[in-house]
Amino acid sequence: MTISTQTTNAPSSPFRVAEPVDPLYRQIRDIVYKVSGIYNTDEKLYLLVDGCAKRIKELKLRSAREYLDHLTAHRSLDGESRFLLNELTIGETCLFRSMPQIDALRKVILPEFAADKTRQSMKRLRIWSAGCSTGEEPYTLAMTMMEESEGLLKGWRVEIVATDLNDRSVEASKAGVYGDYGLRNTTDYYKRKYFLPADGKKLQVKPEVKKLITFNRLNLSEDTKMLFMKGMDLIFCCNVLIYFDGTSKTKVVDHFFGNLNFGGYFFLGTSESLLKLNDAFHLVHFPGTIGYWKPSLKSEKL
Amino acid sequence: MTTTLAPDMIERITRIEVTPAIPAILLPLMELLKAPSDSVEIDEVVRLVSYDNAISAQCLRMANSPLFGLAVPPKSVSAAVVSLGLRRVESILLTCCMGQAFPLKRWVLDPVVFWRHSLGCAMVCRKFSEKLANSDGEAAYMAGLLHDIGFLVNCLAFSDEFTKAMEVAQREQIPFDEAEQATMGFSHCESGAVLAAQWKLFPDTVQVIAHHHDVEKAETARALVALVHLSDLLCRMRGMGYGYYERRKVDMISDPAWGILAREHRELDGIDLARFTFELDDAVVEIFELVSAVFAASPVHA
Repeated sequence: MTISTQTTNAPSSPFRVAEPVDPLYRQIRDIVYKVSGIYNTDEKLYLLVDGCAKRIKELKLRSAREYLDHLTAHRSLDGESRFLLNELTIGETCLFRSMPQIDALRKVILPEFAADKTRQSMKRLRIWSAGCSTGEEPYTLAMTMMEESEGLLKGWRVEIVATDLNDRSVEASKAGVYGDYGLRNTTDYYKRKYFLPADGKKLQVKPEVKKLITFNRLNLSEDTKMLFMKGMDLIFCCNVLIYFDGTSKTKVVDHFFGNLNFGGYFFLGTSESLLKLNDAFHLVHFPGTIGYWKPSLKSEKL
Repeated sequence: MTTTLAPDMIERITRIEVTPAIPAILLPLMELLKAPSDSVEIDEVVRLVSYDNAISAQCLRMANSPLFGLAVPPKSVSAAVVSLGLRRVESILLTCCMGQAFPLKRWVLDPVVFWRHSLGCAMVCRKFSEKLANSDGEAAYMAGLLHDIGFLVNCLAFSDEFTKAMEVAQREQIPFDEAEQATMGFSHCESGAVLAAQWKLFPDTVQVIAHHHDVEKAETARALVALVHLSDLLCRMRGMGYGYYERRKVDMISDPAWGILAREHRELDGIDLARFTFELDDAVVEIFELVSAVFAASPVHA
């Protein structure tokens, strides 16, 4: 009799029982962190193990030790680090991916904005999803804002700008059609309220949600275009900066700082850090997540 | 130290001393451990602990945890002293004693939540301390473990008032000490300090208990009080808080406590706070397991 176990072929699951991990992977984790700012906690180390396994197979290596040697020798973002990062971030995105960020937005930041006198007089909110991939993030933000349209944001004008380097991603974003995988964190409440049925059991985002968002192609390395992205209150840039080397990353982050209004916030992916690239941003903690804050004028002396 | 508590309140706290729940070995053990490390009689500690089977067993369970970092788990308390060192074992023993010191019949706060926070804070204090030169990790651990002892005082001596504070904190999602101040007129800091003085805890620990929410008021040991304050905030922002969502952002580097700690430890400003935050998540699962093993098993006295 053959007993099939779920773990052999099952896709990576956050509920997988933690197994002892070869300490070599902690060294690999350190390299990945230093190169990209991405940190896999022990609980999520299996993602790193899975990613390395794919690279080991691809490179026809025999062990994690050989892979560590290879990665150490080719750790630049033009080298092996890029391939490994691709494996680590592939297919990660979905709607409502980071609930702690959404909670921070609704429970802490929006009440702060709503109480801010300058913003109150303008009643305008500009949000940028920089590196929006296939649209999951901007749509999540749009729906979150719409939930507040009769509450904290009553009478406010919300604009979301979503950009990506890749034309095909921008087109897919505009279409806004998602299957089970992209909707795995989306509750029935949101599915019913903000989606319409589409082909092949998929769902498509309703036009009134799309109306809040402007989609564009944008290269974050193009200084002239970056300078035009002014007056943002919130910038989300998830798993994009990990592909930039130190100097270009600093430049992009400096632009983001300039693009934000005083008192605005900048969010990276949940396991991602700025690696102390910019002293002007304040690292701030919210329950379950971190963000970067551009101090408001009156608090600058803090 | 001055206290703002009314005499009748202090009287209510004083009566806690006669609670039968305090393990017989706790006070003699604390007395014994007050001596400098090199003059503590190890045999005496081991003998004292062996009187209490439950505490011996819990002590070994903790010594086996990866959080205490031993490749070969100790089989007896004396073996643990040899491999972990007396000071580390002291921390473990006192943790276990604390677990049994307050097996209240009627907890206002879920005891599992309380011990997760206290043990979490102890661990974070130690990890934080290890990043600083000339900082005593075990003293930091102990200060973290005991910082909220006033919660237990409030449970025992002011349960009706404390229940109201708890309800306000949860309903309004505000910091607990603010809710206490609003409903009771004092917080766990004041009531904890009274018990700590009565138990003749180390003066530094008394300062931590009294001032961890207002570091600038500490009369001595300000760096330790600041370290506990920051660790407490980190715990509350990373899933080891009081069991409810606190609607707030925490800007640690602008917190006066950061400045106080940095004046004594120049290397503080070199810490990658984002990475430190991610690393703490690694410890959370183990802390939760330890609390189940060590604290949940405490007998409930009538």
